[in-house]
Amino acid sequence: MKQLRIWVFYISLLSLTYVRAQEQDTLLDEFSKPVIDSLNIKKKTPLSIRFGLDLYRLALNQLNDNYKGFEALADLQITKKLFLALELGNEKKTKQSEQVNLTSNGSYYKLGFDYNMYDNWEGMNNQVYLGLRFAASSHKQILNSYTILNRTPFWPGEEIPINTGYAIGERNDLNAYWLEIVTGFKVQLLNNLYLGLSLRLNRLISDKIPENFDNVFIPGFNKKTDENKFGAGFNYTLSYTLPFSFKKK
Amino acid sequence: MPRTILNNVFRLFFISFLISCERDDICLETTAGSPNLIILLLDSENNDTRKIPTGFLIRAIGSDNVLTNNLNDSIVLPLNTKEKISQFEFIINFENENKNIDTLQINYKRIDKYINRACGYRSNFILEQSPITLLNPGDDWIKGFIILKDTISDETTAHLGILH
Repeated sequence: MKQLRIWVFYISLLSLTYVRAQEQDTLLDEFSKPVIDSLNIKKKTPLSIRFGLDLYRLALNQLNDNYKGFEALADLQITKKLFLALELGNEKKTKQSEQVNLTSNGSYYKLGFDYNMYDNWEGMNNQVYLGLRFAASSHKQILNSYTILNRTPFWPGEEIPINTGYAIGERNDLNAYWLEIVTGFKVQLLNNLYLGLSLRLNRLISDKIPENFDNVFIPGFNKKTDENKFGAGFNYTLSYTLPFSFKKK
Repeated sequence: MPRTILNNVFRLFFISFLISCERDDICLETTAGSPNLIILLLDSENNDTRKIPTGFLIRAIGSDNVLTNNLNDSIVLPLNTKEKISQFEFIINFENENKNIDTLQINYKRIDKYINRACGYRSNFILEQSPITLLNPGDDWIKGFIILKDTISDETTAHLGILH
């Protein structure tokens, strides 16, 4: 009797471990299947190249008579989180800046990276990103008119802006280099169509100062201020993804 | 973790946007405007001695503004930035019958120099080869003039001496 119970104990113990082992096996099977599947899906996750336009600058063309310009952008996915990013633009802006009226006209490019910090669900490609750009402009500036600083106006008509003379005119072959820290997001609107907003903090590295004048407005950089070398900008973009995959099989 | 970084980044951006707002668009009061012409009234017999005529007055031609602070031997005259000339009446003994008016035209070139974005440009002047034209010759109390400094870019020294 006692021996029987001992046997029953041993057998049940063995069978229990066997069942456990079987359970683990099936679990492992179940684990391994989805893992393989998701890997396959990830392999299918397309590397994408995305092209877009800045809607804000487009709108500004319509709203502001003194502005003509556009910005095109592209980004290329390198890894899951890292994107190579490029912006190209051209701007022509006439503005009255305090005592001075000027027109700035030129092109710029911005090249750098975006790092996506958003954890997307499967199949989604939204972005909340931080980025860095190196940017350069090639532009010219035209001094249209200016008012002379006069502390105690004495002669009549001195407050009327001057638009002739040797100071008036075009300053060619100007350039500027700067860095931009970018933060922004891109949200999927429709399939492959994204709406994005980005804020940019600019730090001027160097600029070629026009003779007897200054770079008041640098295309792509925006307003240059007198006392510090920081600027700010933003864009509001609509972009379209062209997905392509490198099929290795 | 990335969320908090992102929050901080956004905060940083927001603050820097606030800071970068137009702070320097005010032209400081300490920034000098276009300089005035400084004239010394000198003794025609001894060019180093300053001499103040009696009953002396200056009137500008073409402006209703009254010149002030010109009772010294050193005269401060605003130059017209719209023209290449400025005209003044130099009057002595203006309160009695010996009143004598010499009308002078000051000839100069104007060169505008960029200061900064907020202040714009300042006019500097260069006196012409013959800086003074006497418009009503005859019975002149002004005997002549000497150029002390032909570039008028500040008001620290006199630019022109009038001999009488």
